[in-house]
Amino acid sequence: MSAAPLLELRDVRRRYSVSSGLFAPRRTLTAVAGVSLRLGAGEALGLVGESGCGKSTLARLVLGLEAPSEGEVLVAGRPIAALHRLERSRLVQPVFQDPYSSLNPRRSIAEIVTQPLAVHGIGTPAERRDKVEEMLGLVGLAPRHAGALPAQLSGGQRQRVAIARALVLRPALVVCDEPTSALDVSVQAQILNLLLDLRDRLNLSYLFISHNLAVVQMLAARVAVMYLGRVVEEGAGRQVLTEPTHPYTRALLASVLTPDPMQGLPAMRLGTAFPDPLDIPPGCAFNPRCSFAFDRCRAEAPALVQREGGTLAACHLSAEVRVAAL
Amino acid sequence: MSGAHKSGALLEVSGLSVDIPTEAGVLHAVRDVSLAVRRGETLCVVGESGCGKSLTSLAIMGLLPPSAQRRAHRLALAGEDLQAAPARRLRALRGDRMAMIFQDPMTCLNPAWTIGNQLEEIFTWHGKGNRRAAHDRAVALLERVGMANAAGRLSQYPHQLSGGLRQRVMIAMALMCSPDLVLADEPTTALDATIQLGILQLLAELQAELHMGLMLVTHDLGVVARIADRVAVMYAGEVVEEGPARTVFTAPRHPYTRGLIDCIPQPDRMVPGQRLGTIPGMVPSLVGEVQGCAFRTRCAFARPECAADVAPRHGPDAHMWRCVLPPGMLERAA
Ligand SMILES: Nc1ncnc2c1ncn2[C@@H]1O[C@H](COP(=O)(O)OP(=O)(O)OP(=O)(O)O)[C@@H](O)[C@H]1O
Ligand SMILES: Nc1ncnc2c1ncn2[C@@H]1O[C@H](COP(=O)(O)OP(=O)(O)OP(=O)(O)O)[C@@H](O)[C@H]1O
Ligand SMILES: [Mg+2]
Ligand SMILES: [Mg+2]
Repeated sequence: MSAAPLLELRDVRRRYSVSSGLFAPRRTLTAVAGVSLRLGAGEALGLVGESGCGKSTLARLVLGLEAPSEGEVLVAGRPIAALHRLERSRLVQPVFQDPYSSLNPRRSIAEIVTQPLAVHGIGTPAERRDKVEEMLGLVGLAPRHAGALPAQLSGGQRQRVAIARALVLRPALVVCDEPTSALDVSVQAQILNLLLDLRDRLNLSYLFISHNLAVVQMLAARVAVMYLGRVVEEGAGRQVLTEPTHPYTRALLASVLTPDPMQGLPAMRLGTAFPDPLDIPPGCAFNPRCSFAFDRCRAEAPALVQREGGTLAACHLSAEVRVAAL
Repeated sequence: MSGAHKSGALLEVSGLSVDIPTEAGVLHAVRDVSLAVRRGETLCVVGESGCGKSLTSLAIMGLLPPSAQRRAHRLALAGEDLQAAPARRLRALRGDRMAMIFQDPMTCLNPAWTIGNQLEEIFTWHGKGNRRAAHDRAVALLERVGMANAAGRLSQYPHQLSGGLRQRVMIAMALMCSPDLVLADEPTTALDATIQLGILQLLAELQAELHMGLMLVTHDLGVVARIADRVAVMYAGEVVEEGPARTVFTAPRHPYTRGLIDCIPQPDRMVPGQRLGTIPGMVPSLVGEVQGCAFRTRCAFARPECAADVAPRHGPDAHMWRCVLPPGMLERAA
């Protein structure tokens, strides 16, 4: 069984049934539309993509918080659903996007960070206290914060608490959903450096979701780009984020705002046919917004296949057209 | 409402302080903050998390937590004194003439109401039109913030939306009544680069169309560089530097500003596993008496005189900074 990757997703799908008006019939929303991914121990995979494309849903599936409608989520070779709750939480831990709703508002910071240790019966109370103090120090919180309630901390301070809580059990895989988007750049830098140090020391794996492409590139050697529930491009971070293959990845990169005060906002390269998971277009889901789309793109969904340079991409455009379009 | 106020600014904040009693003593969370936003202008507020950016916005809106105490020399919207305004008047102004996009969507979205109800309510409550008009405006705005099938989304509840969709609902909500002033607290943190760009373009268009003033709190210095007319840098409850965006980025006068700029992860230049520059040390406690420059404990240039209060210094174009260092000290080494 040693060959099994730490995390494996096999053609995972997740659908929701949603109401679309008082008297309208319920409709099916496809949040994740068939994703396959693998992640080994000590590896980090960055997940980027349009807001609403299914990244957080995928994260919830990996954490076992929701079951896939179809497909399999395997952790250390076993279906996540088959793992006991305690076992699962020592394998996979989350750091969520929203530091507000993920912390219990009535518990002190120290209690929040201690809780996983207490639940798993790790250490004596004194040892737990030391461990919690160490974790708070690691994420840059002062000992005086230990007694505070979440409401008394700033957004960024709360996110540090969430990170301390996730790492206190030293899990094998940390699912980070926008872990630093609430942090200022200096704290973000500290947290990212910390995540890297912990990975090196503890052989942690990360599934790292972020809208900040520079951050993804720093943290993850491999990057997957999602669009409307599917992975449209996957490969080495450097390759994907500097020489993108898929037109969506290219538009995404062109929209990144570098801190250059001499430049205004760049022009938007994408059409306004915003993606709708209730109504995924036939063929390539990106075709209504793609300036290179041709007949085949509207009829046939492209498969994720290997390209020059080793990147996987789901796009019908030939290499020549793509190069010419650049 | 008269426009005959002397500074000509849409929003005037002068000498704003927010104190919060805590078990350990009084927390001086916002200290003597002065800001101004003119019509059509974008002021970006940046600074360490916990430095009081959100409390500053909440104080302007009159939405501080009940325990917090606000004091100011002046707090005015289009010349109207907000400190003297009765609660009824403030309720009428909020959401209509001044609107806030909150950092946490769930604090302002009601989980038990559909997003359509919430968007329409704010419009009809302020007497902007009937339900029909409210519905049309909600759909139009959701489309403009990049939501497909906006009419269909109106019947959904907040928990059925992704983080970024919720954030866009809040942006639409703030714009429902075409306010004069928008206070946006981290409005695009949960959004990808293409949607973020769309939102920023929308805000820029509305500014041109309606001459709206925008105060935008953000950690993203890329956003600041591209849209700010002026930048205010806060540290430990205080504005430590304020001025035209170009000046602040290219010739900062406060070491904290310099440090922030050096922490930005640069796209294309990152290598996997590369460590970023950080500002070592921690923000001091703001409980009890605070004296001298609050940054001095982390500052590579600290001198004995930094222990005394530092008066603001002024340069051309209303550039202000609170630092004793002579010019030229913070030029980038490279
Ligand atoms: N419980 C739910 N019920 C109905 N629809 C849902 C539910 N959870 C998510 N969705 C829908 O699934 C789609 C994907 O949502 P998800 O939160 O995974 O997106 P995301 O990629 O994380 O976006 P963001 O970058 O904005 O956080 C969205 O259209 C969302 O509205
Ligand atoms: N209700 C409260 N009670 C006690 N302290 C509070 C309360 N609200 C905020 N604070 C404290 O006031 C300080 C400023 O908080 P604020 O939320 O304004 O920070 P911020 O600059 O917006 O940070 P971030 O960038 O992380 O959102 C923080 O130290 C915070 O812990
Ligand atoms: Mg998400
Ligand atoms: Mg804040």
